[in-house]
Amino acid sequence: MKRASLIIAGIALCGAAVGAQTPPAKDNGAQVVNPFRGVMQDRSSHSPDEALFVEKCGMCHRQMGMGTVLLARRMDPAIARLEQRDDLTTDYVKLAARQGIGNMPRIGRGEVSDVQLDRIAAYLAEGTTQ
Amino acid sequence: MNPINPAAWRAFAAAIGKDQVMITEEDRNAYADHFAADETKHEPAGALAPASAEEVREIVRIANQYRIPLWPISRGKNFGYGGSAPVTRGAVVLDLSRMKKIEVNEATGTVLVEPGVGFFDLYDHLQSKGIPLWLSVPGNSWGSVAGNALDRGVGYTSYGDHASRICGLEVVLPDGDLVRTGMGAMDGSPNWTLYRNGFGPGWDTMFCQSNLGIVTKLGLWLMPEPEAVAGYDYEFDKPEDLGWAIDTLMPLRRDGLIQQSPSIGNWLRSAAVMTTREQWTADKGPLDDKVVAAIRDRFKIGWWSVQVRFYGHLDVVEASMRVLDRAFDKKPIQSKKPALWKRGDPPEGSPVTGVPVSFPLANANWHGGRGGHVGYSPVLPPSGDLAMDQFKRTYALYQSYGMDYHASFAMGERSLTNVNQILYNKDDPAMMSRVDGMFRALVADASAHRYGEYRTHIDYMDLVADCYDFNDHALRRLNTRVKDALDPNGIIAPGKSGIWPKGKRP
Repeated sequence: MKRASLIIAGIALCGAAVGAQTPPAKDNGAQVVNPFRGVMQDRSSHSPDEALFVEKCGMCHRQMGMGTVLLARRMDPAIARLEQRDDLTTDYVKLAARQGIGNMPRIGRGEVSDVQLDRIAAYLAEGTTQ
Repeated sequence: MNPINPAAWRAFAAAIGKDQVMITEEDRNAYADHFAADETKHEPAGALAPASAEEVREIVRIANQYRIPLWPISRGKNFGYGGSAPVTRGAVVLDLSRMKKIEVNEATGTVLVEPGVGFFDLYDHLQSKGIPLWLSVPGNSWGSVAGNALDRGVGYTSYGDHASRICGLEVVLPDGDLVRTGMGAMDGSPNWTLYRNGFGPGWDTMFCQSNLGIVTKLGLWLMPEPEAVAGYDYEFDKPEDLGWAIDTLMPLRRDGLIQQSPSIGNWLRSAAVMTTREQWTADKGPLDDKVVAAIRDRFKIGWWSVQVRFYGHLDVVEASMRVLDRAFDKKPIQSKKPALWKRGDPPEGSPVTGVPVSFPLANANWHGGRGGHVGYSPVLPPSGDLAMDQFKRTYALYQSYGMDYHASFAMGERSLTNVNQILYNKDDPAMMSRVDGMFRALVADASAHRYGEYRTHIDYMDLVADCYDFNDHALRRLNTRVKDALDPNGIIAPGKSGIWPKGKRP
């Protein structure tokens, strides 16, 4: 399910990049340019776990989310969205959420319960060799 | 050692379930202010996550019994003002983020939300049901619709003064009583979210930025999808363009042609979400004009930028655009980019069309490291000269403290709100050592001109409240008398907005 939705999301991401200017040598081309248009996220989902990811994480980790924008500065922009990664383990996802990482604040249990985080971590780790 | 009586934790667990009583070290860390240099300073003793107003009432009764200070949060995303952290270390966070009921009335353009409903939640709800009502969202839309309105947050559309769109509250009072304001005071009234005043005194604003109750439901008016949205993104080339730009727009704001609050921001407000400082200079000192010019050239932004938008019927929007064109005729703008959306067009997909966003928070990454910011937001009269004077003084203070000036002036109907961010890197101790002194100097400077902040960080609530000093702080005396009357045990958010319960006053 995760892979299928990536194709649709990829198209949306390309759409958002239209009008971007040629980046200078020092940046990786994934930065926000003209951030006030075309920033609407794809909020769709194809499974209950994906829907939970969208509800709890999508605002930062889908298109134009803070997490996606910042990760694109630090890694290949093609995999800046967590759903595009194939190296996320469940333990890593849970640790990052509970401990925070970089500019990401800690996500408490009131906001995302342990059971919910297990489901989100499993969704993101689909296809990763654990 | 946890400061809370173990018997109280047991009572809370009996009331709301032990899984919703969160007292591990990891839990305490999760509710601290992650933008703070010292996160332990405001670390809570734990958190409680009720699922209903009835559970909130039960928690309040227990808190009264054990004299436990509660710090209610809606979703805790008030970054730059303390996030989810309490003013007093060791308070118990009352996390309302599980309370997520949404009741939309499409016909009347209103919604009743619980505190856990975020902007994205409400947006998804409206989209999934095809309801043609638009949100007004703040720059960080991760947070709560109700929480943002209660903290007097702002957005970009003509519904952007969120507190002014509140219509009716449900509130758990500090003694556990449950009250509904306005027409909600009549059981079963169909007018709760439609008519604010009810009968007799009105109480809605008493629960904004206050610690006099816990709001469990909030009525809010939403903008019916307009037939059209049009306007311009203006860029201005020089720092001194701020004054005439404000004096050009303010008469149109005052006479009602412009219904939203245009916010004119400097180049760094735009740039800090798009790039990082280290990509342009390794020099930690004040930014060279050439660096600023290079960044502006790269992103095609002015020294100042402002977005102006009109919402409504196409005929009216087009007529409004003509008036705006005349107002800016022959004015020395750097550039203007027109925007036009008409019903039936693909969505413009931007915050000015009510689409929630989180990317503006990327400005916390301007200095690299574990970044953060704190907001300094004085209110001043709507005059270009006064805005220029405010800008020059604030800019000079930023320079003297070696910080990068990041500012905007939002044009209200009769005032300017000068929102400044102090962007920092928590991993740079030298930089962090300057933040507190700089903030205090800024507040002192505003106060000397008799400007007060509209909102502030949990570290500075007393400092800002002190500035409201008419008749030897008569407002504080009033707030305190009300606090003591409603909350004699001082259990709701001690220190919020500089209001302290008996025995805890600094």
